[in-house]
Amino acid sequence: MPVRVVESSTPSQDSGLESRTGRPPPPSCSLLSAGRAFSGTQNVSSLQKDEAWKVNVRIQGIDLDNGYLCGTMEALNVPLADTPVVTFWEGELVDGNNFTFFTRKWEATPEDDIRHWSKFPSFAPLLRWKEQYFVNVGIDCGLTIAGFYYVCFSCSDGSINGFYYDPNSSPFQKLELKCIPGGCSGYTFSSYQLL
Amino acid sequence: MPASAANNRPEDLTARLGVGAGAAQGEALLKALREVKNQIIGNKTKKLLYLHLGAVPKIVSVLAAAAASSSSDSGGISRGGDAAVIVQAAAAIGSFACGVEDGVRAVLDAGAVPHLTSILSHDDEKVVDAGARSLKMIFQSELAPKYDVLQEKNLNFILSLLDSDNENVTELAASIIAHSCETNEQQKALCDAGVLLRFVSLLGGSSNQKDGCLESIAAVIKNNPEVSSRFSCTGNGKALNALANLIQDRYPHTRLLACKCLIAVGHASPCYVEELQIKTKLVLVLVELLEEPGRVGNEAPFSLKTLIADDEELHKQALSVNAIEKLCSILQMSSVQARRLQGILLALAELCSKLEKCRCQLMSPQVLNLIVDALKHDCMDVRVAACDCIRNITRSLKNLSAGCLSSEAFIVRLVQLSHDPSTSVQSVLIKCGGVSQLVQLSKSMDSALRSRSVLALRNLMFLADITDKEFILKELTLCTLASLIYDSECSIQEQALALTSDLVDGCSQSVKHVLAEDSIILDAVMRQLQNASSIGVCIQGMFVLSNIAAGSESDKDTVMNYLVPPHTDSCIPSFTIKFLQSKDILLRVASLWCFVNLTDPASVGSSRRVARLQDAGIVLQLKSMLNDPCLDCKLRVRMILEQCMELETAQA
Repeated sequence: MPVRVVESSTPSQDSGLESRTGRPPPPSCSLLSAGRAFSGTQNVSSLQKDEAWKVNVRIQGIDLDNGYLCGTMEALNVPLADTPVVTFWEGELVDGNNFTFFTRKWEATPEDDIRHWSKFPSFAPLLRWKEQYFVNVGIDCGLTIAGFYYVCFSCSDGSINGFYYDPNSSPFQKLELKCIPGGCSGYTFSSYQLL
Repeated sequence: MPASAANNRPEDLTARLGVGAGAAQGEALLKALREVKNQIIGNKTKKLLYLHLGAVPKIVSVLAAAAASSSSDSGGISRGGDAAVIVQAAAAIGSFACGVEDGVRAVLDAGAVPHLTSILSHDDEKVVDAGARSLKMIFQSELAPKYDVLQEKNLNFILSLLDSDNENVTELAASIIAHSCETNEQQKALCDAGVLLRFVSLLGGSSNQKDGCLESIAAVIKNNPEVSSRFSCTGNGKALNALANLIQDRYPHTRLLACKCLIAVGHASPCYVEELQIKTKLVLVLVELLEEPGRVGNEAPFSLKTLIADDEELHKQALSVNAIEKLCSILQMSSVQARRLQGILLALAELCSKLEKCRCQLMSPQVLNLIVDALKHDCMDVRVAACDCIRNITRSLKNLSAGCLSSEAFIVRLVQLSHDPSTSVQSVLIKCGGVSQLVQLSKSMDSALRSRSVLALRNLMFLADITDKEFILKELTLCTLASLIYDSECSIQEQALALTSDLVDGCSQSVKHVLAEDSIILDAVMRQLQNASSIGVCIQGMFVLSNIAAGSESDKDTVMNYLVPPHTDSCIPSFTIKFLQSKDILLRVASLWCFVNLTDPASVGSSRRVARLQDAGIVLQLKSMLNDPCLDCKLRVRMILEQCMELETAQA
């Protein structure tokens, strides 16, 4: 059973445009579940060059009722680091009930929101991921987790497309991940339960 | 030594008590009684000494004789003298019963209650007061007799006390009701007799009277929706208003009791205490009362926990008035009394049950260490409360992932709990490490213990690497796992199947274990799928098969042979068709993933398996699900059918 966690990002819930409509919870998507792993790349741009870091993501917990999920992100071949860098992130599911399209925090304006969401081909499920802390390195590692990701999840094959947003970084740094099936020829599932 | 001082020794005084030869009479008896009473008031040691000397039965006999004499027709000095003796004897008896269980026992064994009751109708108000006060002391103890108000005689007696103008007497009535009222029928009888109305009218009295009435009101309405509703409607809400005013009373004990009453109303008939405003006020008052000394501070956290139980909005209110900080600061005081510590931990546990913010506030090493230390407290209730607290703190995936809860000291202390002699401690918290202890507990006769320990093992298996998986399985053994899959409780079957599913997840090397020893595990899985004792069992069972079917060619064939046995009569539909037709989305999804894996185009034997699925009517069933109302199911059905078409095309 996923853990229940409350996040108090209320402003987007109070707007007249996106007021709570009491919609039913979003459809379940079995590939968006705790334990599921994804692998791919994030294009990291700077003034000097473009790089692609290999990225592995794993979902650690999910609570659809509250539109919450969390997990870890591991960035490999990071130039400034000797080892892969792992961060813990928390996600918001844009379900129109708990969270809406408009971010209203993390220095993202409504225009930024529209610009990013419109880059995705489909509507759902859409998420925001925000890295909260470094798991295996110190904050003085020279890397930043100040921004967040706009994410689009494909229920059909579990692929993830996203854009990293940080007003102090290059825009539209793309995140592309594929779902790791788990088995040598097929999809496996695992679960845990908290009391 | 002066002669008078020597005569006041307990042994001498006791010798002068009683009736008949040898005992003192008249003024000397009165003096002895007064002296004993003065010595024992507030002095537990003296009380115990006099108990040991047998003073109580003697004093009760004095009371009985004086009461009998006083009720006769003789008047004047004799009656006055009797009254004085009664007053002193009653006061002494009350004092013996105050706060000393042995004293209560001695008083009850000596038959004091009927005599004290008889003097409640005495002409002399001082006698009535003494009797009432003494009985109140007795009725504060759990040992006191209970009055069954369903008996008319008892009800009439209590009503007569309640009608009195004497505050001590009405307080006594309230004490008796608070002590005796246990069943819904008794509550209704008291309500029908107008007791609650009378209590409301007495709420304007002295502080002691208010407190007595509030305790009784709570006892009469507790968990009784009908009585609670009637109370709430009294005088167009006058009763509730009176309670709402009393939560701001100048005395902390009164505020606490008024809160408890309102909480009782809120639980029994929620519509009357629905407004967030009043609940918020209750939270504020109770959080302030946390810092009160003595009984009020001990009981306030319990009331807070009851008030906010399962109510996320109230959790937020409590957080906003710094409930966590206050609870933690009390926790950090030296030598917190056990009852208070239990209450603090339970309140913290409740606050951490839903809100991540609360859990994070308890993550400081200082506070966490104190909570962990409470796991080895002498008092079992404290240990259980500490377990509750830690269990809820560990719901924080954020802090678990950050490794804040994996220090050796923390884990070791938790593992030691599995040796705790109290089964309620064992059952509340089994989470970490100590695989062999968990395996032992999974064989317990207590189903709750088995369930929790299998859950813990399942969680340990989640995403574990192959070495850890094999270690857990080696400790558990295939035989024990099979017996857990066959457990008499569905919930344990489900956990055992989930454990098996996690065992084979992402790890084809683990599949060999479910096939080992003549496929004892896989047979158990299949048997339970066919029994279909619960939806949860079927779901987890299908995930086991699904995970195995994600493996090698031979693993897929193994699953296939179980789902669609080769020589079965094709008229008997596979149980999987029933699962695909289930109303439960997750069961359909779990079953569909199994077929996704069995028809993987990259596997050489998939065409063969598709043909068998066709023959078994499963492909037809799948085609009928193309417009399944669940998007996830629709997507998997399309995936399977596309894979089937791809295989067909490849063959052509």
